[in-house]
Amino acid sequence: MPLLINRQVVSQDNWQFVDAEASLEQLPKDGDIVVPLALWLENRDALAAHNGALGVQFNGDDDIEPLLADLDKLALVAVEFPVFRDGRGFSQARLVRRAGFKGQLRAVGDVTRDRFEYLHRCGFDALQVPEDRFTPETLNAFGEIGAYYQGALDDPRPIYRQGR
Amino acid sequence: MYQYNEVDQKLVDDRVAQFRDQTRRFLAGELPDEEFLPLRLMNGLYIQRQAPMLRVAIPYGLLSSAQMRKLAHIARTYDKGYGHFTTRTNIQFNWPKLEEVPDILAELAQVQMHAIQTSGNCIRNTTTDHFAGINANEIEDPRPYCELIRQWSTFHPEFAYLPRKFKMAVTGGPEDRAASQVHDIGLHLVKNDAGEIGFEVLVGGGLGRTPMIGKTIREFLPKEDLLSYLEAILRVYNLKGRRDNKYKARIKILVQALGAEEFARQVEAEWEQIKAEQPELKLTAEEIARVQGFFKPFDYDSAAAADTSLADKLASDTDFRVWYEKNTVEHKVDGYRGVVVSLKPMLAPAGDATDQQMDVVADLADSYSWGDIRVTHTQNLVLADVRNADLYAVWQVLAEHNMARPNINMLSDMIVCPGGDFCALANAKTLGIADQINQKFDDLDFQYDLGEIRLNMSGCINACGHHHVGHIGILGVDKNGEDWYQITLGGSDKEDASLGKVLGKSVGADEVADTLEKILLTYVESRVENESFIETVRRIGVAPFKEKVYAAAH
Repeated sequence: MPLLINRQVVSQDNWQFVDAEASLEQLPKDGDIVVPLALWLENRDALAAHNGALGVQFNGDDDIEPLLADLDKLALVAVEFPVFRDGRGFSQARLVRRAGFKGQLRAVGDVTRDRFEYLHRCGFDALQVPEDRFTPETLNAFGEIGAYYQGALDDPRPIYRQGR
Repeated sequence: MYQYNEVDQKLVDDRVAQFRDQTRRFLAGELPDEEFLPLRLMNGLYIQRQAPMLRVAIPYGLLSSAQMRKLAHIARTYDKGYGHFTTRTNIQFNWPKLEEVPDILAELAQVQMHAIQTSGNCIRNTTTDHFAGINANEIEDPRPYCELIRQWSTFHPEFAYLPRKFKMAVTGGPEDRAASQVHDIGLHLVKNDAGEIGFEVLVGGGLGRTPMIGKTIREFLPKEDLLSYLEAILRVYNLKGRRDNKYKARIKILVQALGAEEFARQVEAEWEQIKAEQPELKLTAEEIARVQGFFKPFDYDSAAAADTSLADKLASDTDFRVWYEKNTVEHKVDGYRGVVVSLKPMLAPAGDATDQQMDVVADLADSYSWGDIRVTHTQNLVLADVRNADLYAVWQVLAEHNMARPNINMLSDMIVCPGGDFCALANAKTLGIADQINQKFDDLDFQYDLGEIRLNMSGCINACGHHHVGHIGILGVDKNGEDWYQITLGGSDKEDASLGKVLGKSVGADEVADTLEKILLTYVESRVENESFIETVRRIGVAPFKEKVYAAAH
């Protein structure tokens, strides 16, 4: 699946996303893994001993409040967009960044070009695009609208502080 | 009025190009229907019964004459020669071709207009008082704040995919001509004990399936904090609003479920964090002043009050006098009046204007009212700053073009949605019923005797015609493929906002006007001196009306 990081296509992705139903015992022993939020919250200590980097995945149905204190233990946070019209992940991304998370914030699920710019502005640096929805032309989405009124994660200045 | 700078223009121009590409990709099969749908909706494009419908934004209902002429041109060139002004103070074109919509948007961009966020689950056009800036009772002109909200909400990256649509209205003082209490957020400019000006914030009003009056969650918000507070409300809503059922997805349902107090607590907690994280969001005094600079009072003619010609005309021309009494309002500057241009003629859809009428209003605005035109949420237009000495000339031109029916705030000044003739959502037709009512009550003297009555009609439960807040509301319902009409009494969208109560079982399509007659005669029999219709309904309740309507039916 094509992965964009900081608006560029990258070919290498070391992260393994474990199955939503996976138990602690079924996890790979090594390597960088992304686990579902529920698994993380139940097994924080055991997972902290994992031999490799850790990530957590959730979606709009999840209450991420308990996760916000754990972010320093994670190298990746993946926010799933179940359907195109579900915009909760935009706000969740803002909350994760506000809590001080500096690692990779990745949008997964229904991640398609007409929302790239907004995702990026809300703090996502990584976008995982479904194979059938990606062409090189897709990258033109960035910068389609060449100005903005609001401050956001990429630039905190609203229009009235942009010195225009 | 506000004038675009380079950034404003670039955003709109870029959006035209972006939408052109989205349309191209859709037509080429590269963009699936379910993804084009929210994208085109966010650009005001619906697919309706007959053709696509394009809704063009008129921010807070304010238009320049050049913009009005452009709307006339679009009606003439891309549509069937008319447009429909809506209760959101926007305009809808009913017959554009999908392939031509990018061209229409490019034409609009030439006059600083667009269709951005006029539909879809995003922040919509902010509406306000159509007498903003001319009414003596306002604390401050609300339009600069509407413009600040417009900018903040346009392409907001976090709030483009909300659970449901989101509408705000701002009032400038104690009078409410913007139906602010039935909006997702209502903002009222108020003065606190220290004499500072800020906002009372209401949340969770709305119409539709579950009508509700908004609840105050903050008595006083300093105006510099307007945007950070809105951001907090929207974030709580975006995260917590229901997405499992579109009929329960509006913020009013969330506020009801949590309770206004708990909702307010969550907003305040989020607001504290936003203020700490994004201090930049605080509005600067310079920015407020800059935007206010676009809405300064005009350089009014100090000699206007000395005019004596108006008094002469009022004395000598009865038709003019009647129009003056019904269709013009006081202006805070002596010697001026606000003129309401009636889009409620005898037999034509409420709120419709032909390309020629639009051009005529644009010319009148240029000649007599500083080139500005406002749209009211009751689907009329306003020329807000006309000198007393010019009123007669304005009236003559309006009358010649069928826009001077002296019926503002009367029974026939109905709010009517397009209904089943056009709208794919509608359950019943509305336009024929409005005609039926007009024909039954064609005697304006009878209407004047009834006094102020707000009659609102919707063709379905979505309530675009604001039937819940009409003194008389009419809701079209479908019963086994037939159009029936449910009547409510006692609603109001003013500062005394209330929801109408259902009169009884619905009536058939050919009985609506007769039923209204029984209601109106009951009022005439029951009123005490100088009591308006709504006052009588509030005093005696719905029961006497119900008795009269349904007793007579048997």
